[in-house]
Amino acid sequence: MSPIPRNPTQTGVGLRLPHIEEAVATHPPAGWFEVHPENFVSNPHALELLQDLSARYPISIHSVGLSVGSASGIDRTHLARVRAMVDRIDPILVSGHLAWSTHQGEYLNDLLPLPYTVETLAVVVRHLHEVQDGLGQPFLLENPSCYVGFAGSTMTEVQFLNELVDQSGCRLLCDVSNVHLSAHNMDYDPQAYLNGLPADAVGELHLGGFTLEEDAGTPGRVVLVDTHDTTVAPAAWDLYAHAVTKFGPKPTLIEWDNEIPGLATLLHEAAMADAVIARVLAAEVTRAVTG
Amino acid sequence: MLSLAEVQSRLRNAVVSGDVAAVAPLLVGGQDPSGRLGIHRRHYEASLLAAIMGRFPATSWLVGTPWLEAAAADFVRQCPPTAPCIADYGRAFPAFLAARPGREGVAYLESFSEMDWQLGRLSVAVDLPALDVAVLAAVSPETLLDVVLTVQPGTYYAEAIWPIDELIGLYLSDAAPEQVTLAESPVRIEVRGARGKLRFSRIASGDFRFRLAVSQGTPLGAAAERAALCDRSFDPGRALAALFSEGLVSDMDVTLSGAV
Repeated sequence: MSPIPRNPTQTGVGLRLPHIEEAVATHPPAGWFEVHPENFVSNPHALELLQDLSARYPISIHSVGLSVGSASGIDRTHLARVRAMVDRIDPILVSGHLAWSTHQGEYLNDLLPLPYTVETLAVVVRHLHEVQDGLGQPFLLENPSCYVGFAGSTMTEVQFLNELVDQSGCRLLCDVSNVHLSAHNMDYDPQAYLNGLPADAVGELHLGGFTLEEDAGTPGRVVLVDTHDTTVAPAAWDLYAHAVTKFGPKPTLIEWDNEIPGLATLLHEAAMADAVIARVLAAEVTRAVTG
Repeated sequence: MLSLAEVQSRLRNAVVSGDVAAVAPLLVGGQDPSGRLGIHRRHYEASLLAAIMGRFPATSWLVGTPWLEAAAADFVRQCPPTAPCIADYGRAFPAFLAARPGREGVAYLESFSEMDWQLGRLSVAVDLPALDVAVLAAVSPETLLDVVLTVQPGTYYAEAIWPIDELIGLYLSDAAPEQVTLAESPVRIEVRGARGKLRFSRIASGDFRFRLAVSQGTPLGAAAERAALCDRSFDPGRALAALFSEGLVSDMDVTLSGAV
């Protein structure tokens, strides 16, 4: 068997528990898989199957529970469990979210928004150092999907992410669908957002589906909700092409967490991402040749 | 601006309890940003409700989905998870159900739902390599009573005054009749699970007490004493040999003597 590529060029898919036995049995043509460690730490059988897959596929570990934005601190027990999984799986990437989900011993099972202030910056930087020290490797931080912001924020999200990269040495996971969704919900320009990110720090891209629902208090206006239960929207594909132009081809992942379809559907979405990369690169070559 | 801790406390109350008044003035986004918090609140409730319902399928079959869903919704509001692993959520739900009005006639609800939760844990367990009884040859007779054994992680012991294993068996068989009459009949049950397979056994009172104690980390001597107290015919040598021959022992420690 050939060595596992550490920088896969083919798009990967989020591997959820309903697909893991099929993946072990059939070895689908996925570029790589990304898993949430929270689905495996209390499921030894699934972890055993994932270890089998890690001998054949690049695996990325994407935590939804590290909660680097919690004022009440990092859950060190959970960090240790993620580290144990990292040691066992040898992932190509380890990532999580710019969000918070734990509060004084409670886990709220959602990725909740942060005010972008000097105090929050200090908290997240401290926790990123703790996470990166605990995991023994760089951590990629994903931009959130936003429905609300805070009147007291003193930085934009892009400024905040730039500061985090500078002060913690973390890298960025740019969720292109989140950029599209948040830009719509919070009224800003998604391309300007991408242009403002530190391109050298971007190590991974995400794409996922969202749904539209009526915006509370604003008749006729919709809010985009990050449901990960459908295909990637055309506008997000367009923004993805801009991201590939801006950042170059990066390991890209299709996420689908609810109403999970067959693996074939996920692989079809992944192939569409590969086609976007090929189209962008071909256009760049043409541009270079023709001046 | 309030401290981050205070902002998060107010947001927590909005998400878990629906109390948005304190956080609303802090928010921006659309015409009604506090209304948008409903997206987070809905996700919190729906995802955890689904987790509980998915974790108690047999209990839902027993007491009816609407009643269990209402109980789960209250549980989610009153008892948020304490760790970012939703598979572990619901450990306290059986006791919550037992204290809830509406199913007083189901006397075995707590033990049945406890077993339901445990079956979810056992079904994803993995057996560790089993020790051979020959490892005991290295233990001197004087220290044998202080030995602490570790049993396979996919093991669960339950004692009930109703035959809850029969009831679970009906649920698992997919052949449950419309109505079941359950007679009070004390049972002691060992359930073993690994990689999706489950095996139920009823065991005698002495063996049950011994295995339960061993599984809880009790030294062999104390575990045998507990067994002999409830079953005068208990044979510790035979019981110990059976633990090994059935592949139940995955580790042995003589250094923890007297610690339990």
